[in-house]
Amino acid sequence: VQPPEKPLQAEEWDKLREDFQAPEVFEEVMLNSMIRCNSPIDVAKSLLTHVAKRKGDVAYNVLVKYLTLCVQQGRVSEVRDVYDIMKARFKILESGAYSLLIKGLSNSDHWRMALTLLEEVKKIMIPSRTCYECCIKAASRHQDFKLAFELYDEMLAQDVVPTLNVLQSFFDFSRGMKGAELQKELFGILLYLRDNQIYPHKTFMRSIRLWFESIPGGNWRGRLTKIKESGQCPVCDHQLEDSNLTEEEYSNLSQRIIKDVIHGTDTFRKTSPQEFEAFQTFVENRLPFDIVIDGLNVSHIKTRKLQCENLLDAVNCLAKENTRLLVLGRKHMLMNTSNWKREIMKEMQNKADFFFAENISEDDAFLLYATLRSGKHCKFVTRDFLRDHKACLSDSLTRHLFRKWQRGHQVAFSAEGRSIQFLVSFPAAPAFRYDCVVQTTGDTWHIPYKDVFEEKYSYQVPRKWLCIQQK
Amino acid sequence: MQSANVLLRKIVRSSMLPLAAQHGMKKDLFPLSRTLSLSLHLKQDKLCEPSEKVDLDEWKKVMKSGLQEEVSEMVSEPKELSSLAAARETLEMWRLAGRAVPENITEDQLKTFMECPSKSAKKKYLKYLHLKELYKKNSKRKTDEKRERRLEEQDEASKPEESRKSSFLCLWSSTMDKAYNWRAAQSMIFGQPLVFDMSYEKEMSVREVTNTVRQIALSEGCNRRSLEPFHIHLCNFKDDSLYHREFVKHYREAWGKLLITVTDKCYTEIFPKDKLIYLTADSPKVMKTFEHDKIYIVGSMVDKSIKTGVSLARAKRLGLETAALPLEKYLLWSRGAKNLTLDQMMHILLTLKDTADWKKALEFVPKRKYCGFVNKPVKELKKTLDLINTLRLGKGREEVGKQFAKNYSKKYKLK
Repeated sequence: VQPPEKPLQAEEWDKLREDFQAPEVFEEVMLNSMIRCNSPIDVAKSLLTHVAKRKGDVAYNVLVKYLTLCVQQGRVSEVRDVYDIMKARFKILESGAYSLLIKGLSNSDHWRMALTLLEEVKKIMIPSRTCYECCIKAASRHQDFKLAFELYDEMLAQDVVPTLNVLQSFFDFSRGMKGAELQKELFGILLYLRDNQIYPHKTFMRSIRLWFESIPGGNWRGRLTKIKESGQCPVCDHQLEDSNLTEEEYSNLSQRIIKDVIHGTDTFRKTSPQEFEAFQTFVENRLPFDIVIDGLNVSHIKTRKLQCENLLDAVNCLAKENTRLLVLGRKHMLMNTSNWKREIMKEMQNKADFFFAENISEDDAFLLYATLRSGKHCKFVTRDFLRDHKACLSDSLTRHLFRKWQRGHQVAFSAEGRSIQFLVSFPAAPAFRYDCVVQTTGDTWHIPYKDVFEEKYSYQVPRKWLCIQQK
Repeated sequence: MQSANVLLRKIVRSSMLPLAAQHGMKKDLFPLSRTLSLSLHLKQDKLCEPSEKVDLDEWKKVMKSGLQEEVSEMVSEPKELSSLAAARETLEMWRLAGRAVPENITEDQLKTFMECPSKSAKKKYLKYLHLKELYKKNSKRKTDEKRERRLEEQDEASKPEESRKSSFLCLWSSTMDKAYNWRAAQSMIFGQPLVFDMSYEKEMSVREVTNTVRQIALSEGCNRRSLEPFHIHLCNFKDDSLYHREFVKHYREAWGKLLITVTDKCYTEIFPKDKLIYLTADSPKVMKTFEHDKIYIVGSMVDKSIKTGVSLARAKRLGLETAALPLEKYLLWSRGAKNLTLDQMMHILLTLKDTADWKKALEFVPKRKYCGFVNKPVKELKKTLDLINTLRLGKGREEVGKQFAKNYSKKYKLK
């Protein structure tokens, strides 16, 4: 329905209502379309008056819709009126109305009221992140940073993920402010980005840069740059953190992979204890490998060729002097079928070590184990994203570790033309010798960022950096 | 000049709003367009005003006036609410806001609601209750209508011809029950065993366990009604388990009288291992025929979160043979998981046992999951499909292209 352009008389509303197919929901539908068209508030008022006269009451959902319209147009006094009416009418409100009120009031001089409302919400449930966002923004707009950070900490403590907007607003509003405490808090936000591998977008990055440069007496200077392949920053010649995991992280990851991915809830789901044990002794006797190949994955590079030929190409391409290869496969590969010729298999077995798992076992788990067990230099070849295995890891910290390790150690391949190109790091980007996260050395900060509307897959990392250094 | 002035004044006066003229537009005449646009603007403003005096804030007065009595009532109530009552209040507000929330909610349900770990879990649970309530209401309305209709009919067709002769007493359902029970009892002595493996309670949520029990009850029902029932075994059945509680809830007193074997032993303890076949959709082996001397095991698990390989892992651990239904072989699968409900499994197995006809048996696979039956083996079908594709994409395209070019080039050349 098209909402009218000017307030209507009761009779006119009546007529419209009668013409509507479902008169019971007429008000709702009408208000919805008013919200959509951003109609003048007076029109909505006239509708409410009509409803009030007809029924002697305005239903809660209609009130909420009206409130939405008021908030949308920033009518603060109207929002307050509606709040007074609601408060008198109902003992408590529900979350939708609360968040609307908070949104409406936090942008006005009555922003303190939004905070009391937030307290009320907390009594019922955990407030949504937009509620927090509004309150935090209001507080920092009024330079009450203590309150803003209290709310922020509370939000994190409740596992509510802050929006990038909130984080950005901290930098925006504290531009040019002095104070060691404030600075520490903002550095804390940057470290939060680091810990969660969040990349700020361009405008956020600009806010960070402006804040740094505005610190009185800080002498910070920011430059946009791209990091060299060696991991050196062209601006300050600083070497970025390398992408290797620390010893502790590495052993932690290996253990978690064995525990969560291979064994999981039931070792029999992916393999069997006997098989895994056999595999372990097999690997221990031949350590260390340089490259571990997922045989079945590689054998499907080119559909025109026989699968064993594909694998042979891969092995020939990767086998160089003193490179120790391990190929993982399944027992059916030994059956001398049309796709798997016995002679070719024999030839390959001279060049690389082979382990054949049971046909119903999952070879990916073995791939991960063998690579991790061989040490940090070892890489693995597969086109699989290994998402299902990453999902088996129980906490996000280990998943981040896994992703980082995967970036540094997975080798993908491209099969353009006749030859197979290997040692293209996963996924088709130059090998990252440096770690792509927010990082600091105290007097420098390096912050990767992405363009605002850049479509970035979760496995890709941004290439642009903000380098900030203190003179 | 003067004449032009007069003319303009006339225009201005004749326009809808004398206002513009009053504002002394006489003096400067050249911004005519401005005047006009101004007047237009004013006109709109005028229209926007509630010309016939609608009091726009009247609804507020109404709302506030209605309040007085209620406020006085509310004052006497204690201010602090218990958490349960508060939750109830919130639910009420959600209902008013038009969310999918049940009208009535019991204390237990409220507690379950509050124990939900996340907001989305809460929402889901409420929606479930809401739908359940709607469903109940509808069915109640229907039965009421039916009863009324029946009463009316009875009134109409009241007395005539009461005495109908019949050689049978009208005791259908209880006689049938006796017959069914007789058959079930026979199956307990001579029948082929069918095992439900009840060891998946830990893998399931409460809802899933409830659904499982329901499905088993359905399977038991259709088994009892069949000509030659299986001897149902519920193995690995713990007495104080959630399964047990749900079964008692479902069957009430009849639970003790069911003609099935319930045991806490594992099937491997009861039957020889080489006779057992674990049916699971993840099995690499495909069932070819139904074997009458084997004992089939069905995992009693409803898995809504798609935990693949759970039952296969179990069979592997115990070293049992596994098998999957030949769904791909006989059906052109379209969508949905290949795991079927327990009662569908029961229907299929019963049909296989009686007729050994796969087509008939697989009629019980839900229609939405497949497009149709395959009359040729899938391999052959695939071959022809491949052939068609290569023809269409490979040579075919070239040829068509050539012909196309020929035809058109001719035409163009001619022109």
